[in-house]
Amino acid sequence: MSTVPERPLEQQITLLELVDRVLNKGVTLTGDITLSVADVDLVYVGLRLLLTTVSTMERLAAE
Amino acid sequence: MIYLYAIAEELDDLPEVLGVDGAPLVHGSAAGLDLVLSEHAAGELDASEEAVLAHARVVEALVARSAALLPARFGRGFRDPDALREAIEGRAASLREALAQVRGCVEVGVRVLRPEPAPPPAAESGRAYMEARLAHTEEARELHEPLAALARAATRTVGATPRLLLSGAYLVEPGELDAFRSRVSELEAAHPELTFVTTGPWPPYSFAPGGET
Repeated sequence: MSTVPERPLEQQITLLELVDRVLNKGVTLTGDITLSVADVDLVYVGLRLLLTTVSTMERLAAE
Repeated sequence: MIYLYAIAEELDDLPEVLGVDGAPLVHGSAAGLDLVLSEHAAGELDASEEAVLAHARVVEALVARSAALLPARFGRGFRDPDALREAIEGRAASLREALAQVRGCVEVGVRVLRPEPAPPPAAESGRAYMEARLAHTEEARELHEPLAALARAATRTVGATPRLLLSGAYLVEPGELDAFRSRVSELEAAHPELTFVTTGPWPPYSFAPGGET
């Protein structure tokens, strides 16, 4: 069973969209050092959460 | 190590916000552009959700204090001030061009999702696969183009999953925001089977040059 989300759905989506932007968009320059962030994992975690969240919204809307 | 948050033009003063790891912000400059930085001991920074949010808070706070701003991608550092200056100088022309494009605009995100579970990825034939891909591309284009028409610039990424029909970012002038939202509502009404998720306004993350060009 999944845990019940504590944040309102809209706020969760906003958070995921924000994390996606901060991690995957924005200026990169030659010669910079990348911190050891598991970029790819975080992206897919974010995307999975987004899809789950939207499915939840659809369920709620149908009820 | 120098950590970079954003590249800006006409930045007034720094906001009362702390950077990653609680570090104070520093106002730098290179090639006539304003830079917002913080300084850290080598190897001191760790990527965490808190650090990501701190980066985002700094960028958000800078938007209102500058004429134009390009957020930096999270987690990028430079060995020393010279390395950062060289990196900026080497890209100054494309950075200036990008700053001119985003000036006075905000970013709006639109994602459109299909209702049904995705079809199995292993298509029965190459031809059926190509036809499905073409239909997908055409459908995404029909949603993207009316939105892009109201934006100064637009970008979209190919869906990472078949359910994600459109993942678009639109650079919109504040005066056009209401018209943009109305058009999203029109598309939503015309496609009741699809789920639209609109977010923003955001700082222009998706319109900052990310390549090595």
